[in-house]
Amino acid sequence: MASLIVLAVIVLAAIFGPLIYPVDPSVQDIDNLRAYPSPGHPLGTDDLGRDTLARLLSGLRVSLSVAILVESFIVIVGAGLGILAGYYGGWIDTVVSRLADMLFAFPGLLLAILISAVFGPSVGAMAGGAGRLLLVSFALALVGWPLMARYARGQTLSLMPRPFIESAQALGADHRHILGRHMLPNLTSLIIVAATLDVVTIIVSEATLGLLGLSAQPPQTSLGKMIVEAFGYITLNWTQVLFPSLVLAVLVLTLSFIGDGLQEAVERR
Amino acid sequence: MLQYLARRFLSLIFVLFSITFLTFIIGYLAPGDPIQAMMGSRRDPKVYQQLRQQYGLDRPWYEQYLGYVSGVLRGDLGRSYRYAGRPVWDLIRQGLPVSISLGMVALTLSVLVGLPVGVLAAAKANGVFDRASMVVMLTLFAVPTFVTAGILQIVQVILYQNNLPSLPPSGWGQPVNWVLPVVVLATTSVGYLARLTRSTMVDVMRQDYIRTAVAKGVSRGRILTHHALRNGLIPIVTVLGPAVAFVVVGSFVVENVFRVPGVGFLAVQAIGARDYPVIQSITLLLAFVVVVMNLITDLAYMVLDPRIRV
Repeated sequence: MASLIVLAVIVLAAIFGPLIYPVDPSVQDIDNLRAYPSPGHPLGTDDLGRDTLARLLSGLRVSLSVAILVESFIVIVGAGLGILAGYYGGWIDTVVSRLADMLFAFPGLLLAILISAVFGPSVGAMAGGAGRLLLVSFALALVGWPLMARYARGQTLSLMPRPFIESAQALGADHRHILGRHMLPNLTSLIIVAATLDVVTIIVSEATLGLLGLSAQPPQTSLGKMIVEAFGYITLNWTQVLFPSLVLAVLVLTLSFIGDGLQEAVERR
Repeated sequence: MLQYLARRFLSLIFVLFSITFLTFIIGYLAPGDPIQAMMGSRRDPKVYQQLRQQYGLDRPWYEQYLGYVSGVLRGDLGRSYRYAGRPVWDLIRQGLPVSISLGMVALTLSVLVGLPVGVLAAAKANGVFDRASMVVMLTLFAVPTFVTAGILQIVQVILYQNNLPSLPPSGWGQPVNWVLPVVVLATTSVGYLARLTRSTMVDVMRQDYIRTAVAKGVSRGRILTHHALRNGLIPIVTVLGPAVAFVVVGSFVVENVFRVPGVGFLAVQAIGARDYPVIQSITLLLAFVVVVMNLITDLAYMVLDPRIRV
């Protein structure tokens, strides 16, 4: 419950923060470089004199938008394909499973790093400067959907021999009816739990890509990039490493605890 | 068992094909002209054509792929754009020993800490130690490596500024330089290992033969070490695959934060310089490492658990 409140605060801060705290994250205050927290800059400034609170809010928006975009794709495409593969079997199953296996061959983020590194520089200017973020989202969705597909497929397969599915089939219900009325309602909660835990991975992945300089480019920023930039002057002002790290840690932990709690609740049923 | 081995072998071939094919396609589609990049400012159409032919870039893509794979098999990973004409393998070879030893030490540390914590937590499931240690382990697992690195760095800076003994924030060469990178690199896999060990052991402790042992009056410690651990450890072997993957990906971050001259450091420099052949080859190499680790763990699983052989 406490985790939910913290999460709500973070999300609200990302949405409404720039309205309440309307400081431009790219404006440089050259008299205050690497400043400690003060009334003028509540969380201090970075080595270019940019306001850290404003940058954090902007980074948080990037982080959360990528996470929502990618996770929606993973749930719709990944879980969708997984359910279809589990339900119909046959060639759909073969194609989906082989595709997933192929992408699984790469450990974790490696493929996403490769894709963002190779194509990043040339898509940067596309889609009104959002090209990089779209590419990063694409790369993360590409490496993320197989896990969800495999999970959904497994869960679907375990439902198949259950009496309520068999009786629906025996009564002559068509595939759409069985999938929509019997399968989906039973899978929804499991998929929500998996997605909650998965979002954590995506947020960390986006931050890691940001840290490697592959995610949002100026004037936008990524939490990961803020941390790695602040490493450069950590001996002069360590608070600038601390704040983005804390925001990221709190975000990731609340989501993990929520996911863990949901999982326990679902398993107990 | 033979059937299992055959299936495992087929999937290995498929995985190796996927890895080489995907890395090749990404390199093939990469924007920019590699020959142009290699020639730098020199513009000689004749030399250009000659080089294109020499590198086989005028051939159709499937021939190029075959050429790429046969090159990889011969240990030829192509040439760096950044260090004009230097073989990629030369660059990687320099960083490899550093990354391997760093990774091995970190993995050893995570096993040494993760396993005992998981076993002790499972010994008294839902006890105080279980609850507390699992929250800590979840935190270690969930918090990204660079956040852990940042917090440890901050501690070092504060210690240093107060004239207290502290560890060097970055650098390589002395044994003290190892401490922070190893600890940070181990955090994710420690959390992962401990949590998995716990859940596996809790499952084992519910088995009938454990209840039998309790009933006949075997001591708690002996049940844990002699009865539960032997079966409980088997599934844990399979975790080493993913744990290696965490360490491999983590090294990208850790080597850069602590300026460790390994493969991950090289990769990030290559990303900055758009040196695609280097990025491509490192991805290929690391994916290969993880594939081999997965194979080893699968085989180890088979050796350890007779049930799987039938």
